Amino acid sequence: MEKLMSVKNCLKLVQLLPAPAMAPALQLQQVRHRQTKHWKPEFKRLRKQKFVKIDLPNFREKAEDISKEEMRSRMKERGVLPPRPWMERPFHISCTGGIFEAYVPPEGDGKKSLISSSGAKQKLEFLEKKSKSLMAVRKIRSYEESFSTDEFGDHAQEIYIAAHTHMAAREKYKIREFVSERCYPEMMHNVKDKTIHWRFLQSLEPPRVVHARVTEVITKENQFAQVTVRFHTQQMLAIYDRFGRLMHGSEILTKDVLEYVVFEKHISNEYGKWRLHDKIIPDWLPPKQPAPITYRLIEDVIEETPTQIEASKDKVEQIAATSIDSNDASTKSSLAI
Amino acid sequence: MHKVLRQISQLRLHSKPLLEPSSGNAIQSLAVVPAVHHPMLTGGQVSVSASRDLHTAAGSGGLCAKWNKNNHGPRKWLEYNKTVHPPQQNDEEPRKAYVCHMRSNIKYSPDKMWYIAAFVRGMSVDEALKQLNFVLKKGATDVRETILEAQEMAVHNHNVEYKSNLWIAESFVGKGRVFKGMRRHARGRYGHVEYKHCHYFVRLEEGEPPVHYYQEPQTPQQQYDQWMEQMRSRKIINSL
Repeated sequence: MEKLMSVKNCLKLVQLLPAPAMAPALQLQQVRHRQTKHWKPEFKRLRKQKFVKIDLPNFREKAEDISKEEMRSRMKERGVLPPRPWMERPFHISCTGGIFEAYVPPEGDGKKSLISSSGAKQKLEFLEKKSKSLMAVRKIRSYEESFSTDEFGDHAQEIYIAAHTHMAAREKYKIREFVSERCYPEMMHNVKDKTIHWRFLQSLEPPRVVHARVTEVITKENQFAQVTVRFHTQQMLAIYDRFGRLMHGSEILTKDVLEYVVFEKHISNEYGKWRLHDKIIPDWLPPKQPAPITYRLIEDVIEETPTQIEASKDKVEQIAATSIDSNDASTKSSLAI
Repeated sequence: MHKVLRQISQLRLHSKPLLEPSSGNAIQSLAVVPAVHHPMLTGGQVSVSASRDLHTAAGSGGLCAKWNKNNHGPRKWLEYNKTVHPPQQNDEEPRKAYVCHMRSNIKYSPDKMWYIAAFVRGMSVDEALKQLNFVLKKGATDVRETILEAQEMAVHNHNVEYKSNLWIAESFVGKGRVFKGMRRHARGRYGHVEYKHCHYFVRLEEGEPPVHYYQEPQTPQQQYDQWMEQMRSRKIINSL
């Protein structure tokens, strides 16, 4: 209360005095005077001794702030053994980590004429790659007798639709049947607190197999097959945030989507299934339209010191975080015409 | 109680050499006395020598898992951040975003923290952060940091477009862990000391803060009218 009074008095003083006279006084650093002093300071030590000292745990302490030596001494004090180093790391390979020999979609798919020079060039390259695809198909057929490139398109479309409907419904257990382990985080990241309305309206062109590859992982018998399917479809997508506000897309807008989707199967596994693995996004694709929200523009500053670099990294992350929603939203319609 | 404690300490003093060769069971049963009381019992010396013989595992501190099995701080508040609201129609007014955040077990009294929590309630975030700079209380820094964290969360994770367009819709305090301590008094008496912790909870909401967070202040005329209305609407029992 006294402090408040003194502040009030100061303010009054400021108001009373003329401006030029107060100028040097206002420049001074504000000084705090302690008002809680005991009336008998000489017995401070004795008063302190009246309290039986107990050691309180520090709840606000973070695990990463404790140094290694400190941790060691604490564990020694409590008689806790350090955790056993676990060198072995069990892992289970049920899918490959990416696309091998990825299909390169022709630039301006469906728009470029065969007669033009670049169009003809592309056609030639395809012919070269086609033989490899045929070999791969033959290999797949040796494991899966009923496999045929003509019928696979429809099957792939079923998988595609199932995977996306489960994603929109956030069915994290059911989606595992239609999506490989590599693809799962890409599909399910950031859908947790969103509402996704997705509808597959129709297929404009029948889906067709454009590319096939077979590879072995670790041993020769362990074979994985990847098939790229071209989809040209019409879809509807609307993404709402946690509060039900529209973030991306629209309920009433249909979009034509051209996609090259990679499906994978562990063919040497008797119970292997064709699952959605990845989508091919070509280099020539124009950048996606950003989400219609306000961004904070932070200019990149080139600095040498590590602390400053970290700080700038944080800034970049901030930007990334704000734009991540828009990215995620548009992963699905990767090739909107 | 202090008599009992004194007896235990004496018992330990006497029994120490006697029990040393025998199996550790008896000692362990004595060692169940929490570590919090150790220094008080014997001025530190004996407890140190006793603990050298014992296996004082992690289970003997004030934070022992055995005694605090269900003591897991507040858990419900952050769950509100996971609610997903149904999509809105185009003609509806967009729902206001909100973020719940908290800081648990701050070493500060909940009673003192209440003043700070109530102070920022109903302010816009910028205003609250500005004001908290000038609050000369220990808890003010914690409140300030919590609000800043919540603001960042709102922008990064909850689709809030402008970080200044937030206000403090809820701000309150919860009681955290309390440790009991002792204070020496004259004539062998003692007093209790409570070392308190508190939780601070905050909910930021998008938009402008309301003009009156609490009830709107009323003019004397309004108050009079209200009183009059109240008086006239009384029911007189057993009347016509």
